[in-house]
Amino acid sequence: MKKTLIAMLLGLGTLNLQATLTEDVEVPYVPFEIKMGKHFDVVQANCLTCHSFGYILNQGKQPRSFWKEKVEKMVNAFKAPISKEDQALITDYLAEQYGNGQ
Amino acid sequence: MKRRTFLKGAAAGAGMTALGSDAFAAGQPIDNRKVSTIPFPQKRPLITYSDRPPLLESPRYVFANPITPNDMFFVRWHMPDIPTHIDLNTFRIKVNGLVSKELSISVDDLKNDYEPVEVTAVLQCGGNSRSAFKPTAGGIQWGSGAMGCARWKGVRLRDILDRAGLKKDAEWVGFNGSETAAYYETPNFIRELHLDEIGDHVIVAYEMNGEDLPYLNGYPVRLVLPGIYSDSWVKMLSNLTVTSDYQRLFFMDKAYRIPDNECECQKPGEHVPTKPITKMNVKSLIGYPTNDTKLYHNSYATIRGVAFDHGAGIKAVMLSFDDGKTWHEATLGDDFGRYAYRGFTYDFKPKKYGKQTIMSKAINRAGEEQPFAKDIRWNHGGYKFNGIDVVTVEVV
Repeated sequence: MKKTLIAMLLGLGTLNLQATLTEDVEVPYVPFEIKMGKHFDVVQANCLTCHSFGYILNQGKQPRSFWKEKVEKMVNAFKAPISKEDQALITDYLAEQYGNGQ
Repeated sequence: MKRRTFLKGAAAGAGMTALGSDAFAAGQPIDNRKVSTIPFPQKRPLITYSDRPPLLESPRYVFANPITPNDMFFVRWHMPDIPTHIDLNTFRIKVNGLVSKELSISVDDLKNDYEPVEVTAVLQCGGNSRSAFKPTAGGIQWGSGAMGCARWKGVRLRDILDRAGLKKDAEWVGFNGSETAAYYETPNFIRELHLDEIGDHVIVAYEMNGEDLPYLNGYPVRLVLPGIYSDSWVKMLSNLTVTSDYQRLFFMDKAYRIPDNECECQKPGEHVPTKPITKMNVKSLIGYPTNDTKLYHNSYATIRGVAFDHGAGIKAVMLSFDDGKTWHEATLGDDFGRYAYRGFTYDFKPKKYGKQTIMSKAINRAGEEQPFAKDIRWNHGGYKFNGIDVVTVEVV
């Protein structure tokens, strides 16, 4: 019941938006279920500035080399200011939690 | 369960017979993801990979229709910060660089001062169906729904460039949208096109299926490049810069590239020269029935789907009910132009109980046809998957 009401309200909001777009668009927050683990705090502190955890979860299981390259890409290509120490810890976390054993 | 076993067997078999143990091939894309319970603005709930930046995929059943409704159209952004408000009174598309006259064009100017044109065209992410690749290719593990087809209305890009007047040395046009990164130093999502690529079919669109573009699909204007993967269809287009030289920008030079060889393939870890993904290959998707649908024994079910390519046009869509041994020609639907989805239908009467696979294979007017997934070779970015589509239903 409550859900239906919310859906209806959202539906109405959509109509207004379509007509005028006079109000700000709000992109919803989606809670992605990321695994807790060693150095998760470092991941949380560095990665969320630019992207959701969904970006991590939806890469599939990957080898350590892949995660290391991804972290380097964030720093070198996208200019994320992540320290060398943090880069290593983030890679460890990703390989541990989302690795494929290689 | 059965299907998974079959696919594994197919992939392994291909590896052994075709190329030995170092063959890296593809299976079927992941197809069991559920739509989110959280809808995004102007969208029905879609398969949600990320909220920031938003990455949304259409579920398979959307492909039973040759036009994708705006509220079910997939979404893919690159930067975390997209404007939360666009004021048409102040929004302008700037045209500068090697032009005789710099322009600053409002959406009203586009609608009033330029000839309106329409094109129905498929928009597909180069990484659509990436989850089919084995081993897992780098990037978001899209299923098959990072694509859609809409009727786009706008003005010819050529008309805008003509109005600005190209200088003698003009060769390239760079396109920038309004999304921004968290850090100032992050490269903008700029795409470049050579002037030779800009035919009359390339438009700056302000309408999608008769409505304003949805916010998440690039409101108020986006570039439309029929036949070309979506990475160049810049959203919230705010700037055109004409240059004499190619700028070697990150999103042109590093991202969205495939091996520059005959098979467009490589082994994992192997570094090879690359080229941009550009033209879409021929592909088809079954929209109905979907995996795990139940069909009634001895009773007709109408199979529906869509097929498309880079603009040669679809010649035929073939269906198989015996894992590709024999093929049956589907009926093609209305022709909305060579860049559009071509719908297809086929009345199928299941004769045996239990699991039943349905395959679809499109053939275009250039004679190109979809390969079996097992024959598609690997590339690092998991781009351009166009394997013969497979759904498995249960006949009861």
